[in-house]
Amino acid sequence: MSSAVSLEAELAAAIATRGRFDFEAWAQRIFRHQFERNAPYRVFCERRGVRPETVARWQDVPPVPAAAFRHADLACGPPEAVFRTSGTTDPAVRGRHLVPHLAVYRASALAAFEHFVLPDGARLTCLFLVPSPESRPDSSLARMCAWVGEAFGHDVEWFVGAGGLDVDRLLERLAEAERRGDALLVAGVTSAFAQLFDACAARRLAFRLGPGSRVMDTGGAKGLARPLSRPGFLRACWARLGVAGYSCVNEYGMTELCSQRYDSVLRDRFDGRGLEARRLLAPPWLRTRVLDPDTLAPARPGAVGLLCHHDLANVGSVSVVLTEDLGRAVAEDGIEVTGRAAGAAPRGCGLLVEELGLS
Amino acid sequence: MSRPCGTPAELAELVAGAVRARDEVGTRTLGDSVEALGAAARRWGVDAQLLADLPAVARLSPPLVAAAVRIAAAAIDTSAMLALVEHEFGAGAASRAAPPGPSLIGHVLAGNVPALGIPAIALGCLVGAAVVVKSGRDDPFSAPAFHRALEAVDPALGATVVTAYWPGGGRSWEEAAFARADLVVANGTDETVAALAGRFGARLLAHGDRVSVAAVSREGLGRDEPLPERLALDVALHDQRGCLSPRVVYVEADGSPSPPVFAERLAAALGTLARELPPGPATMEERATLRALAGEADWEPGSRVFNGAGGLVVYEPRPAFRPTAGPRTIRLHPVDTLAALPLILAPGRVECVGLAASGPEVAELVPALRALGVARLCPIGRMQQPALAWPRGQRLPLGSLLGRPGPNVLAVES
Repeated sequence: MSSAVSLEAELAAAIATRGRFDFEAWAQRIFRHQFERNAPYRVFCERRGVRPETVARWQDVPPVPAAAFRHADLACGPPEAVFRTSGTTDPAVRGRHLVPHLAVYRASALAAFEHFVLPDGARLTCLFLVPSPESRPDSSLARMCAWVGEAFGHDVEWFVGAGGLDVDRLLERLAEAERRGDALLVAGVTSAFAQLFDACAARRLAFRLGPGSRVMDTGGAKGLARPLSRPGFLRACWARLGVAGYSCVNEYGMTELCSQRYDSVLRDRFDGRGLEARRLLAPPWLRTRVLDPDTLAPARPGAVGLLCHHDLANVGSVSVVLTEDLGRAVAEDGIEVTGRAAGAAPRGCGLLVEELGLS
Repeated sequence: MSRPCGTPAELAELVAGAVRARDEVGTRTLGDSVEALGAAARRWGVDAQLLADLPAVARLSPPLVAAAVRIAAAAIDTSAMLALVEHEFGAGAASRAAPPGPSLIGHVLAGNVPALGIPAIALGCLVGAAVVVKSGRDDPFSAPAFHRALEAVDPALGATVVTAYWPGGGRSWEEAAFARADLVVANGTDETVAALAGRFGARLLAHGDRVSVAAVSREGLGRDEPLPERLALDVALHDQRGCLSPRVVYVEADGSPSPPVFAERLAAALGTLARELPPGPATMEERATLRALAGEADWEPGSRVFNGAGGLVVYEPRPAFRPTAGPRTIRLHPVDTLAALPLILAPGRVECVGLAASGPEVAELVPALRALGVARLCPIGRMQQPALAWPRGQRLPLGSLLGRPGPNVLAVES
């Protein structure tokens, strides 16, 4: 076993065991690993005078801009999978995330999903409003959903194909689940939910899914054919699916990251903190700093700045990614995404179905 | 500030009054309206209160606002308006009344560039319509100030105009303002005009998101000095918020100075200009954009960033159409020949091309740029000074208000 595989296997095990996670130690070790094996990143760091021996704290590890993934192959070894960002502008320079070993990605995705979306240990039938990994092997969201279905689902069905969302089949399936009183996990991009809600409104349909059902959406406003606010989304989940807002979990993820943040609502409810403000929480191996765009110094507590993610599950590429997303810290453990750099290229999962003709 | 309306019902009453006033001035000649509009523009252009109030709300520096007001006032020039009505309505049009047309035109203005309401009011008056203008959030002052000026010089014509402001999405206000309008002209983001399209249908004349580019031939590089300074002015005016603001410049590669050197000089020129026309305060989103632009250039093979106090120039060797999002930022791409421009630009996205090139080079580009939807070609340094006759979106400015489907127009300014 090479040392790289050993490191990744060790990290995957540390994530899966959910014991105490020493972020600082892992961050330093992973930076050394990436500095040694990721040539473009090493050059980038050296230009800034940063080497493993000069990094005293995890905050010292240099971030690459998310756009770097559009121009360089930032990997520590041959990729086991290549995931590509969605986007309708200049597809020739879409971002690509090369992942040398999927084991860490899988461990991270499953652990966080279970912790934040299935804190009660529920095992549900999964309806995914995204393309299957067979039809979109370069979609990190499709891959994550497949893992979730395998690990936590009774049964898995995919409702986005080459023609976009299969609304008729989805409505039939929801009606069947309602009749049987089945609890479902309905997960997918926000724009697909919006299309589902529009179809329900047009056909005067409303379902009452079984108790314990839940919704996970991601992608936000990207790719939406019409504006849909967050409160509007939650109202529609209740009115059209019978799923209460506290069972609707928003996911924040990026193709460039192997870890995701999740809406705190279900976890807080499970932990008896149901009155806490909604915020996006992370697993222990993902930390996010809010930075002043001019100086890249930490923003004042609670102030809006650029989000910079330090994702140790990115062990095989680059762990620190400076996004074009704006947000702020909320409470001690969360963030809120408030916007995006002016004119930043559309990106993200919402566009996944737009490309397939949904919108 | 716009005329105070306590309720949508009061606004509807004002609009109804404007339509009645329009009927009363229906027989006056266009020449009389032109004289009144020209006089109002001259009065408006020196409105001290406007110049004092606008910078804070528009987030533009006072010198930039003064420049914007000067340009907008100059465009409402009497001789230019006379030429426009004669061009579109035929010889002798100035001595006739406006041709039959809409009784009421509504305007939904974007807030990105100050003084958009002035040409909106002027063009509406020149087709003999009553005009109701909904100002943008970042400029609720210009249109009412012009309205006051018009009322002062020509009360009868001023009575045909209503200016108002309400936050976007106020449906009852929108209904009050535009229910009777034969035509609603909307400026704004693609999202805004798409939302309005659902409400106004065929009555809507939309101007959505567009950008502009500049192009420099090897011959133009040597001839049109001080070219970097002139291009810097086009970038800096309105803090690059308008559809006429250049966001990409293509430079023929084998001229002198070389494209990287030109990029460096452009950054220096932006720095110098910033002392005369300081940028307004940048938003968080704009500051993030600057960071993202510079950060990405770090990773683009061969790219270089020229960053100064006055703006940011990204030299990118790969030819592409990737407009920057400002403020005061521009990408410079070398190209083998400007003849490649029609292959690089995206159809329907470019409003104006600023050119430093010879006459024959320009002539060769015209048919292809027209086919791409470009509405205006002009010399670099004049991109932000459009005439009232500018065929925005390739539409004749008066004919489009009369519902006359004209040819796709590309204005070539020399």
